[in-house]
Amino acid sequence: MKKIKVLIAKLGLDIHWRGAVVVSRFLRDAGMEVVYIGNKYPDEIVDAAIQEGVDVIGLSTLSGNHLTLGPKVVRLLAERGIKDIPVLIGGVIPPADVEELKKHGIAGVFVPETPMEEIIKFIEDIVIQKRGLPK
Amino acid sequence: MKIFSSEALDQIKGCLATWKKQTLKQNIPPATTESGVPIELVYTPVDIGEMDYLEDVGLPGEAPFVRGIYPNMYRGRLFTIRQLAGFGSPEDCNKRIRYLLEHGATGVNIVFDLPTIRGYDSDDSRAEGNVGQCGVSIDSLRDIEALFENVPIDKISVSLVTHLPSVTVAILAMYLAMAEKRGIPFTDLAGTTQNDFLMETTIGSAPEIIPPRHSFRLQCDVVEFCSKNLPRWNSISYNGYNLREAGTDAVAEVAIAIANAKATAKELLRRGLDIDSFAPRLSFFWDLCDDFFEEIAKCRASRYVWQKIAREELGARNPRSMWMRFHVQTSGISLTRVEPFNNIARAAIQGLAAVLGGAQSLHIDSYDEAYSAPTEEAALVSLRTQQIIQVETGVVNTVDPLGGSYYVEYLTRELAARIQEYIQKIENEGGIVRAVETGWLHREIADFAYTQQRALENGQKRKVGLNYYPSKEVGKTEIAVFTYPETEKRQKEKLAKLKQERDGELVKRALRRLEEACASGENVMPYAVEAAKAEATLGEITQVFRDHFGLWQFPLITL
Repeated sequence: MKKIKVLIAKLGLDIHWRGAVVVSRFLRDAGMEVVYIGNKYPDEIVDAAIQEGVDVIGLSTLSGNHLTLGPKVVRLLAERGIKDIPVLIGGVIPPADVEELKKHGIAGVFVPETPMEEIIKFIEDIVIQKRGLPK
Repeated sequence: MKIFSSEALDQIKGCLATWKKQTLKQNIPPATTESGVPIELVYTPVDIGEMDYLEDVGLPGEAPFVRGIYPNMYRGRLFTIRQLAGFGSPEDCNKRIRYLLEHGATGVNIVFDLPTIRGYDSDDSRAEGNVGQCGVSIDSLRDIEALFENVPIDKISVSLVTHLPSVTVAILAMYLAMAEKRGIPFTDLAGTTQNDFLMETTIGSAPEIIPPRHSFRLQCDVVEFCSKNLPRWNSISYNGYNLREAGTDAVAEVAIAIANAKATAKELLRRGLDIDSFAPRLSFFWDLCDDFFEEIAKCRASRYVWQKIAREELGARNPRSMWMRFHVQTSGISLTRVEPFNNIARAAIQGLAAVLGGAQSLHIDSYDEAYSAPTEEAALVSLRTQQIIQVETGVVNTVDPLGGSYYVEYLTRELAARIQEYIQKIENEGGIVRAVETGWLHREIADFAYTQQRALENGQKRKVGLNYYPSKEVGKTEIAVFTYPETEKRQKEKLAKLKQERDGELVKRALRRLEEACASGENVMPYAVEAAKAEATLGEITQVFRDHFGLWQFPLITL
């Protein structure tokens, strides 16, 4: 299978970079190609995803902007006619917001206690599905 | 003079060897502290045989201050109960501050939302989604006045967790403008600003960052201004806490913060200041994590290392310049979302370690902080935990009660040595500013964070309810989670009104003078105070710095 390519971004002003960097490294250890772009706003994230031709976008935030800026990334992708780049969010997300994010088209939500294995498997599965490959 | 004679030590060594063979009779698997110091099964005088009590430990209130900075410690004055508060608009947050004070908090501790922390007004597009989240939103002098309405700022000490030097300049300026309007002399103001350039350039990432060198300069400007005008104000709180949370062990946490303090002192000496004019107001901020004894030893060791540097390398003569005074917050990263009430136990134990370590002030995390800012109910449990430590446990009745424990003394010495080694490592990188510019420090942090996560994933580091007897409750939550009040709209309306009512020309002139000070190298603080008085906004003041100093690219390290 072609290497899975993931874009990881810190969402807007969120300052906590630990999670994004650690997840990036675990994904790389699992054989994926990771493009880490640091702190960016939704339009810049969408631009980078298109330019880099990534399979998945992973957003990291721990400071409460997930409900505003997360769905905005999904919306901007749709506006640009892109339907095949799923958007995931990881960070401190209150339980009540998880369903809300999914309603707005966020494909997966990961919280601090999510094991790395689960994130890796989630991304692998979603890409396999997207590429129409057998599991 | 050594405490134990060599005859006594030899005798103990002999007995230990026999004890191992005849009494213990087994091999014990190795153990280490969280930062990797090997731990013996049992400690005896042999492990501190080299220790000279008066030279290396001393009496409280006397160098090397291992036992505490005050001779009477908590029998003289209890540690300050300084619980964080910050969410929503300043009007919302004012209610929480007063609630905490009414229930016995003895200091105020304000945390700001991210737009404020990064110097953007609430109506800035970059602030979208973050206004009033995780902290209180401040745009102007009017907001600072609303935040402290009916709070006696001339009587209680106020900590402003301003993170960046540039934002410290603006917020402290507004605070001073408020004091002036209330007729309170600057000399009566007691408190702390965080003012740490590592918060801007290393610990937190962001879309826009002022270059490390210039951020460091603003940090030093605040320290210099305070030393001349605010005798009771801690001009800086070297933030080991957020370093630790981002990814360091206990040794690096303390070493990096002290390296920054040393660099600050050297810069102010270069500016012609006397070390004893500003060093007494440098303060520190530690993160007390899971390893109980190591954290206590860390606090003791930090006092030893700082006094040594202040005395031997910086030429301090006033003992106050040698005092390592520190605030403690219990570890946020150690909290779990599963079974959140377990966090009450974690935070209480970490808080106890802080008190046994001789902290000057304390924030105990609330059980719901892995979800959101604490509810009023959860904040009260934290406050009550502090009061339980103060008046029920009796631990405050004697100074440094663990002093003399073979283990704690051994660990204190060992950590002090390791902290000094790490400071040397930073010096070898060209000093703290250079270590940031090259991304060396970021790499150290990323590396440690990765290693720690590995240990958690493979079960080497155990977390109750998470990877040790994992909870079946994952994904469910039984507790009330705090929801932030809608803030953005209210703040924007106030800003629009402010911009209509203030004298726009006055603001422009004040900002121009601030920019001139940036260019001339003059201290920016007096000009920032003028700008705050003219009701320039936070965003307008910090934009002067961004425009003048330019922006720096945060190292994108993923290893």
